[in-house]
Amino acid sequence: MKTTTKETSQVGRSIPRLEAREKVTGRAEYIHNMRLPGMLYGKIFRSTLAHGRIRSIDVSAAAAVAGVHRVITAEDVKTVIPDPYYGPVFHDQPILAMDKVRHVGEPVAVVLASDPHVAEQAAQLIAADYEELPAVFDEVAATGSPVIVHEVLRPAGMFPDFKDLAGRKNTNLHLDFKLRRGDVETAFAAADHVFEHTFHTRQIMHTPLEPIVSLAESTDSSVTLYTASQMPSVVRMEIARLLAWPENRVRVRTAFLGGGFGAKTYIKVEALVTVCSLLTHLPVKISLTMEEQFYTITKHANTLRLKSGVTKDGRITSRLCEVWWNGGAYADIGPRLTQKSGFTAAGPYDIENVHIDSYAVYTNLPPAAGLRGFGIPTLTWAYESHTDLIARALNIDPLEFRRRNLLREGRPQATGTIMKDAAIDAVLERLAERMDWHAPFDRGSGVIRRGRGIAIGFKASISNTTSVAIVNACGDGSCSVYCNTVDMGQGSDTALAQIAAEALNIPAETIKVIHADTDVTPYDMGTLGSRSTFHMGQAVKLAAEDARDKLLALAAELGLPPETTPIAQIFRKKFGMQAGNVVGIGTFNPKSTQPDHATGLAENITPFWMIGGTGAEVEVDTETGHVRVTRLVNIADVGTPINPGIVDSQLSGAAMMQFGCTMSEGMEFDAGQVTNASLADYKIPGIRDMPDQIINEVVEARQDTGPYGAKGVGETGTFGVSPAITNAIHDAVGVRLTRLPVTPEAVYRALRAANNDALEEE
Amino acid sequence: MMPFEIAEPRSLREAIGLLGRDDPSVRPIAGGTALMLMMKAGVFRPTRLVSLRSIEPAFARTTLGAEGELRIGALASLSSLEHSQAVLNGAPVIAKALRTLSNVRVRNVATVGGHLAHADPHMDLPPVLIALGARVSVLGPSCDRLIPVENLFAGYYETVLARDELIAELIVPPQGGRRAAYLKCTTRSADDWPALGVAVALDTDGTAVHEARIVISAATHKPTRPVAAEAILRDGISDAVLRRAGAAAAEEAGVISDTHGSAAYKRQLVRVYVERAVRAALAIPTGKQRRA
Repeated sequence: MKTTTKETSQVGRSIPRLEAREKVTGRAEYIHNMRLPGMLYGKIFRSTLAHGRIRSIDVSAAAAVAGVHRVITAEDVKTVIPDPYYGPVFHDQPILAMDKVRHVGEPVAVVLASDPHVAEQAAQLIAADYEELPAVFDEVAATGSPVIVHEVLRPAGMFPDFKDLAGRKNTNLHLDFKLRRGDVETAFAAADHVFEHTFHTRQIMHTPLEPIVSLAESTDSSVTLYTASQMPSVVRMEIARLLAWPENRVRVRTAFLGGGFGAKTYIKVEALVTVCSLLTHLPVKISLTMEEQFYTITKHANTLRLKSGVTKDGRITSRLCEVWWNGGAYADIGPRLTQKSGFTAAGPYDIENVHIDSYAVYTNLPPAAGLRGFGIPTLTWAYESHTDLIARALNIDPLEFRRRNLLREGRPQATGTIMKDAAIDAVLERLAERMDWHAPFDRGSGVIRRGRGIAIGFKASISNTTSVAIVNACGDGSCSVYCNTVDMGQGSDTALAQIAAEALNIPAETIKVIHADTDVTPYDMGTLGSRSTFHMGQAVKLAAEDARDKLLALAAELGLPPETTPIAQIFRKKFGMQAGNVVGIGTFNPKSTQPDHATGLAENITPFWMIGGTGAEVEVDTETGHVRVTRLVNIADVGTPINPGIVDSQLSGAAMMQFGCTMSEGMEFDAGQVTNASLADYKIPGIRDMPDQIINEVVEARQDTGPYGAKGVGETGTFGVSPAITNAIHDAVGVRLTRLPVTPEAVYRALRAANNDALEEE
Repeated sequence: MMPFEIAEPRSLREAIGLLGRDDPSVRPIAGGTALMLMMKAGVFRPTRLVSLRSIEPAFARTTLGAEGELRIGALASLSSLEHSQAVLNGAPVIAKALRTLSNVRVRNVATVGGHLAHADPHMDLPPVLIALGARVSVLGPSCDRLIPVENLFAGYYETVLARDELIAELIVPPQGGRRAAYLKCTTRSADDWPALGVAVALDTDGTAVHEARIVISAATHKPTRPVAAEAILRDGISDAVLRRAGAAAAEEAGVISDTHGSAAYKRQLVRVYVERAVRAALAIPTGKQRRA
């Protein structure tokens, strides 16, 4: 096929994002802005109790407010969906609370009105009467607590590996992933040194600037959902399952998302708006406020215990990891995270004996799930803090200590999977170079002390997932990509257009990427886990190649020179006018093996590995505990970048998010109530908090199984940020922070404690 | 937010008449940067808002008198002060403090009168204005009065103003050879509300201190002058005196625990920041020395 431009490679170019003009001129479509004629607004009435049995709900005063269309409770929900429990791993979450409330902020009722202010006002008039139950909040205490959040576990069946949990009763421990490699106890006994440390993190909110929003319109036999979702295909399946309808009667549309970060995965308020629309025969929209998001989905709080046996020359011979994930009141995707991230808890090191226990635990807190890294930034923080502490204790340079123990290409990871296309050593070495690690470093001598630290982490891509894409060439030769990958700011439209363009040999800028509409766009597991460039990228590449091959064959059949005839001319010759389509389809489902239930071992645990290393230079004010990060260096293995400019902004964006999780973010609770549930009190970093210098670089690498050598990048920049900073603080002032976030007060208190002059509590 | 009445009087006197003394659901609104947040959060539900936007433009004017007295209309926006030559000449510490006060969007609409009347102890200007010895002129239905800013605040989000009194003007006296500095410390993010604000105004001659005013804010229920610390500074500037003054201020300021930090930690911040603020003031070149 001949193209109108001269031949250039479409991948590997930093083309500007295709949607940039639409976005900066305010024309980009967001569900948040959408209104339909006759639409009702729903306002949720939420539990004020962390754990309680519902005695009664009085909605009469709310229903009597002028302008209120209807008030919905679980009783109404059951008339549409008799078994209204949802969740990707367990069917544990009711659309509206039934029998019990399990966390503060749980939806109990919904007021519907055509004026959102009326709905809000009326929702405040609802009164619920509860029998208060004892509540449990701590993830370690909850494992042995007599307080039970869910009496019986009901696996969802979506993921086959959780079937054996069916019917498990009277425990808050809803998944315990085990990995057993070698014999750690014998190795500890034989080790020259044994080190043990415990770390803690707090619950974090995703903070997409477009809060969670869904809008449903329905007939008696169909429903259309407009939803800011990262997983349109899964939303369709879950809504169809709840309604016991075939999938093709549920249509799910998305638009651009104002950020997702894992908050907009599986279903959130989609089932609720669906039920409300079916009950009222009107379109219903629910837009959460920023405050409500704190009660909807979060990132886990954790306790992590690590223990390592080390030889006197600095070889780690054994590592034990115990990780408790505070899943809150509903499992969401937490158990998958507990398993899928759990098996990397010992870090990117070549350790003969590994023992991992990763526990998903119910508590009476808001539900937790993945947030940009699916648990990896938390694990990396713990194992890279632990690793750094060991190096310091043995008086070995932290870089050298890592080199001695690094997991290298061709060696088995803890699961037994042989490492391939994982540039761990290249990332570490380049990090050392960009940090000028061997150059002299001025640590300061006055009030301000300086230090530096490094850290490296890795992540296995989500496994056994499928992407399907369609490429459609029109009669004039213009091409569209149909896929369910959602552009939530990460630049997937642009990257996928580049991949299709490369295969079709036309400019990426001329390709349109059709946004998810499940009536039109084919299945995709979801836009999460940095999987889209790799999985959807391959599906798009296959679809484009399929379309290209069909066009070439058509040209040949028509007697046209296949390589030089423009697409439009092929169609014109075929149909005698501008007409017709050629449709290519691509399906990608890379195979991997599930970890063995008893040992956690697997031959082929992941389609690809992501590697991220970060170095930090910090200044610590020893009189106040303030930490200024003066330099942050992020080095990544992303395979061969499709769009280097977007890769760079993904790395710095991820690093900035994790910087917030490190320095200032953390939900605070009082009896299960979030006491800082607003952006006035929950502080994401602003531009003046940013490190003075952020450097991003990718190492030369290639993912052989990825599209044009590429792999995912959305989360990689998060991995090493927290430990690099806490390692640098240790380097600067000799104190170790074992809890996140690293507030100035925490640092100052640690300094005083290290000086045997602990600051009084109040 | 439920419907409410909004009045747009043409004069300050008319506005006062529309306020009334007894109804807490009737409030004046100027820039609205604080009030709108309270309304969105459902903390405040008005029946009537009295907008001050259309009153006499004279109440938004800033002038510097020949003697160096600065008169600032209550409706002057914070950004107009930030960029005012009169403010830069009369009390440069105000312009400097404004640069890190909230953000440019807020400064463009927030007014100095609203900033003071809101009485949020985390505001940046009250400690600065108290250190400078500023007063406000207040108009009411029956009598008008002058109140030192130091006496304006009755407590946490509370002023001594009646519901039908409005701040008309802010008067900053001539500063002569005084040097002033304001330092704030945030603990959660750089653009957070301060965990602590420290303003100092010093009249010095070499290491001798004729007058020292220190004001602690944000860490306390209301801006507070640690008078013992001020007295210590009058012993003359030395490292030891600064340390003692910081320690005394931390002891006497009445620091409270809140989401920005524990009282114990914030007492440490007071200790450090009083010292740093005094040093910052002393680092300002003495331009117009009052005494030869």
